Order: sequence, then structure tokens, then C-alpha cells
Amino acid sequence: MASTRDIRRRIKSVKNTRQITKAMELVAASKMKKAQQLALAGRPYTQLLSSMLAALAPRVAELKHPFLDQREVKVRGILLVTTDKGLCGPLNANLFKLVTEIKTPAKFFTMGRKGAQFIARTHRDLAADFAVQDRAPFSEVKVAIEHMVQKYLAGEIDTVEVIYSRFRNTLVQESTLRPVLPLASLASFIQQAHTEAGTVPKKDDRDMLFEPSAPEVLEALIPFYVNRHVYQLVLSARASEHSARMVAMKTAKDNATKLVGELSLEYNKARQAAITQEILEIAAAQFAA
Amino acid sequence: MSLTLEIVTPEARVYSDTIDTVVIPTVDGEIGILPGHIPLLTQVADGELRVIKDGKELFLAVGNGFAQVEGDKISILAERAITEEKIDEKAVEEALKRAETQLKESAHLDPAEQEHLHSVMRFAGVQLALKRRKR
Repeated sequence: MASTRDIRRRIKSVKNTRQITKAMELVAASKMKKAQQLALAGRPYTQLLSSMLAALAPRVAELKHPFLDQREVKVRGILLVTTDKGLCGPLNANLFKLVTEIKTPAKFFTMGRKGAQFIARTHRDLAADFAVQDRAPFSEVKVAIEHMVQKYLAGEIDTVEVIYSRFRNTLVQESTLRPVLPLASLASFIQQAHTEAGTVPKKDDRDMLFEPSAPEVLEALIPFYVNRHVYQLVLSARASEHSARMVAMKTAKDNATKLVGELSLEYNKARQAAITQEILEIAAAQFAA
Repeated sequence: MSLTLEIVTPEARVYSDTIDTVVIPTVDGEIGILPGHIPLLTQVADGELRVIKDGKELFLAVGNGFAQVEGDKISILAERAITEEKIDEKAVEEALKRAETQLKESAHLDPAEQEHLHSVMRFAGVQLALKRRKR
């Protein structure tokens, strides 16, 4: 059996660890609340935007826009949204699993240090890495999106897809691959948005008036939509990150508490054994005298 | 028959109510919407939005976005929107000054950044005009 001093030392170190994880849990919890709020607040906006696009789409079937073209996919462009820091459970590992499933040629754009490291380590084609602050301000995310859109328009990549952890609730985050461009899959996406929100698409098939003109509105609406859509995904990923970290830290804290309990028991047993031993020795010495 | 108006920004749903009429500032000028309007999709410019409900007028400052009329439902997506009573004149003035100095000091700012500052200033101007006109 380990000596009482060794056990005492271990208890102390486990307690220290528990304190750190507890602090991290609290920090993550407060960040999570903010991130979730932000992600939820943005939802009606994005939904409304996609419903506008949905109303527009059937009425301007003849319109041409590079974002609507379906072209042959040679190189996929994938934006990988991960966390900057670790200690958030299996969140990043799950995303990487999705990445390894991609066998066709692809260029990767990353947001978050963990993703950049992974892509570099596995010798995939890392085209660009974007640093985004923890708050994920729109202006910083926009830079990344616009960079990808430029590459898309230049023909260097033929799709724009996003791999991120979709925020379902505090305990559940799903690694998801969301195609963004081309927008050919718009109809199916809108359907999905409606089922997610539990709403029914409205019908009003009178002719729609566009001001200044349909192409101009489309020209303005589509890039706007793409930016917003990807931004919403990033917000969702941020909410996932903090939720996952909070849960991971809570588990770590609980484990530490359990460990301290077990070690205390062992320590007390060892101490008791030592005392008994001493009494026996004294008694034996007295008896001999 | 009444209209429902919904104004949504990335941060929140700013306004949602049934109304009688609304006048929306668009890139081509103001458009007034009455019940039974045909479906419409238009770009919203920075400006003041006038809502009339039960004979009372309510003003909002809106910035940059899209408006959709479909059936008796009007949806406005704006980058920014604020109701008149929530406008804090001092805060707006300060924001305006900050944006101005930033613009002056940094000629090397990239165009996107400059555009952003300009739109902030435009929106601040709209808010001030709205707040001061009432006096």
C-alpha cells in the first residue's frame, strides 16, 4: 500500500485539477450562454432571408447568376470551422472524421487553429487559414467567406461547403457538412429550413413586383444571403464549442471529485493501519518489559 | 383587413405587430404599403420607416436591407433598425464622431472597412434627423 504521504500528495494535486476544471466550466458556461443567445437571435433573420430567396427563386427561373450555375465539380472548396483551443471533448475529432471521409480532391479553408493544424498534419491542401476572435464578429467571418467566393468565381474551387458542428442543444452537437454554393440545391435547403423551424411555406403566386428590377435585387440578395448563411453556421459552431467545453469540464470536475473521495478513503485506511501498527508495537514493548 | 409587419435584424426581432400602413424607404424612393398590395421584393435604403397603427404614427430608423410583401405580411430584413424612442442622441453623435475620425486617420483602410464606416455614418445621420425633427 502506498504511504500516507504519497496519497496526501495525490489528493492535493487532484484537488488542484478539480479547481481548474471547475473554473473553466464556469467560464465556458457564461460564454455558452452568450454564444447560444447570439446563434438563436440570428435564426429568424436567416430564415426570413431564405424565405425571401425562396419566393424569388421560382419567379426568376430564367435569371442567370454564377452562384446558381451547376458546374462540373473538380475541386471542392471546404471551410472547416473548428475551435482554437482544445479541452472541448470529442467536438473537433468528430469534425476531422468528416474530413477524412472526403476522398475527392478538395481545397481546405480553415477557421480555428485546431482545424489548421489537422489539415497541415495530414498533408491536405490548406488554401487559407482565417483567425476569428472568440466573439466571431461578422466583419471577420465575412473576410473568409468573401475569399472563398472569390476563389469560386475564379474557378479555383467548384463548390463552397462548410464543415461545422451544428448546435442542437447543450448536450448534442452534430458534425455537419453543409453545401453553400452553388445554390442549385436551394429548394431542398428551404424545405429543410422550414421543417427545422416547423413552419409551412406560404403560397402567394400572384406576380411579384421587383424594385428596382429582378436582376438587381437578385444581384444584391444572393451574396448577402451567402454571407449571412455561412455566418449563421459559424455562430452555431461557436455555441457548440462552448457547450461542448462546458460539458467536458463538468465531467472532468465530477471525475476529480470522485477520485478525491476514493483517495481519501484509501488515505484513511492507510492512516488507521499505521496507528494500529504503532499501538501493537507499544503494547508488545510494554508486555516484554 | 390589416397588415402584419415584421422587422428583423441579425441581433433581434425589432418590431412585430399588426398595422394599417407602412412607408418604407427604398433605393428608388419611398414606397407606401396598404392592404392588398401585390407581392413585392425590394431593397431597403438607410432612412426612416413610418408605421401607422390606429391613426398613430411610429417612426423607426432602418438601414440597408430587403423588404418583402407577400399576402398581408410585410417582412423587413435590415442590417440595423431602431425605434424612435430608443435612439440615444448622445451615443449616436459619439459613434458618428468616432467613425469620422477613423475615416480621416486611415486612408489605407481596405474598401470594405471604409464602406462599413460610411454605412455606420449614414445610419447615424438618419437617427439624428429622425430624433431632431420632432422638436
